[in-house]
Amino acid sequence: MSALVRSELLKIRTIRSWWAYLIVIVVFTGLAVAAQIGSADGIDRGTVDFQSDLVETAGIALLLAIILGITIVTTEFRFGTVTPTFLATPSRQLVIGAKAIAGVVVAAGFALLSLVVVAAVALPWLTIVDAETHLADSEIWTRAAQQILSSVLWALMGVAIGAVVQSQVAALVGTLVWIFLGETLLIGIFGLVDVDGAAAYLPFQALDAADGSGGGDLLSYGPGVAVSLVWVALLGIVGAARTHRRDVT
Amino acid sequence: MIEVANLSKRFGKTQAVRDLSFSVEPGTVTGFLGPNGAGKSTTLRSVLGLVHPDAGGATVLGVPYRELDRPVHRVGAVLEASEVHPGRSGRNHLRVLAAAAGLPRSRVEEVLALVELSAAAKRRVKGYSLGMRQRLGLATALLGDPEVLVLDEPANGLDPAGVRWLRDLLRSLAAEDRTILVSSHVLAEVAQTVDRVVIIHRGTLVQQASIAEVLAGAQGATRVRSPEASRLRGLLTAAGATVTDVGKGTLAVDRAPEKIGEIAAANGIVLHELTIERATLEEVFLELTGGETTQ
Ligand SMILES: Nc1ncnc2c1ncn2[C@@H]1O[C@H](COP(=O)(O)OP(=O)(O)OP(=O)(O)O)[C@@H](O)[C@H]1O
Ligand SMILES: [Mg+2]
Repeated sequence: MSALVRSELLKIRTIRSWWAYLIVIVVFTGLAVAAQIGSADGIDRGTVDFQSDLVETAGIALLLAIILGITIVTTEFRFGTVTPTFLATPSRQLVIGAKAIAGVVVAAGFALLSLVVVAAVALPWLTIVDAETHLADSEIWTRAAQQILSSVLWALMGVAIGAVVQSQVAALVGTLVWIFLGETLLIGIFGLVDVDGAAAYLPFQALDAADGSGGGDLLSYGPGVAVSLVWVALLGIVGAARTHRRDVT
Repeated sequence: MIEVANLSKRFGKTQAVRDLSFSVEPGTVTGFLGPNGAGKSTTLRSVLGLVHPDAGGATVLGVPYRELDRPVHRVGAVLEASEVHPGRSGRNHLRVLAAAAGLPRSRVEEVLALVELSAAAKRRVKGYSLGMRQRLGLATALLGDPEVLVLDEPANGLDPAGVRWLRDLLRSLAAEDRTILVSSHVLAEVAQTVDRVVIIHRGTLVQQASIAEVLAGAQGATRVRSPEASRLRGLLTAAGATVTDVGKGTLAVDRAPEKIGEIAAANGIVLHELTIERATLEEVFLELTGGETTQ
């Protein structure tokens, strides 16, 4: 299995989009932190609250984690590399498993990189404006850890979606439309038919709850993580079955 | 070595392979022939566990491909030269597969040298010519130094120099006692390389034989030249033969030379030439497969 994971990690690193992921994370996280600190002129930037919200700007990594997760599965079908991949590893479940593990590793790396950028921008800035920094505060570290776990969950969701949908364009577009439109519509419909509570169990509402920032109608943290994992497992099982049955022609 | 037994596979309305059985003997090079759409790729993909047959199945080295332990070390295959990520370099493509198979990086350099691709190895595959892609495909198949090779139309898109290079490579691989199954839709392309042929048409077996047997079994016409061609023609036609005048006193007759010689002798006709016209490989092939493609 470790050989397979190494092979999957090598696949990710040996195409140029790898650098695009890293650049997007660095640039957008940097901009988001700068915007948040810069626009907070009237607020006390020396509080734990303010600073733990800064940690959340590392959330840019989540979107990239799910795109990566979807892509590492669907690229193989898109370019037909699934043929040599399955010839080398006829157990298709093992291949999906190795992709999931590689996705976890890389997604954790994305979140870490993002956190480093947050720190690199925020620490000097806060020092310059004479705000007290709370690097040692457990709240900050909990948030950071939750960001990493959250990124991992999004990557796993991506791998599962990729295995279910298999067409790269359909999976990427479908997922983005679902995140930004589909669930909002469903939440509206749930409201109309008086089952508002159910909305929190939708996959990306659960994932939202699982980044630890909390929010109005979302589940609390623990249940958010649990429901996210259930969705990943459900889609993963369907995806593994579909991949297993598929004729590779 | 490779056993295909009662294999059937349908895609929607297309019956790609129908109750196909054949075997490939160890240590031989077998040509797997059929016109476009005959079901060659579908059969090879079924053998390699990529396509799920509707009925029947195949074994490689005694077991279904999917149950092989460390398959890269036992069986090498190229199905399509384009099954590579265009943005990855040739070397990295091989490194990825070598990593999955637990092979060292040095092996990647060995196969690159073997297919004469070392110089282009660091370029992205996007910029490769078809011939370079075919070489990369062969390098992929040879990574694990397998005893069995399955190649689907490896000569596709190669120029004459490339075809010769491939033929020499296949011969040297065969000389190392490997079992090779190589598909083609051009019999002449593989005739000099293969020991045996399996010919399929519309998904069913047409013939499984040695190259010599295929040629011998063909309905080749007999060529006869005589100063009395027109009289001979009348006699042969009267005997029920189909005769074509090919000019300069030469006739093509669909009868064995013995029969023609007897008729000529009985009528005192002088013959200047009496030979079996060696049907060209293409004619044999066209004859066996009905001279048409299934699409
Ligand atoms: N994935 C698929 N979906 C639908 N039909 C398919 C699929 N794969 C193959 N076919 C059909 O099955 C038949 C056999 O195809 P196959 O590719 O096995 O032929 P082939 O002998 O390899 O032909 P060629 O010489 O053109 O490569 C064809 O009619 C083809 O259209
Ligand atoms: Mg084919």
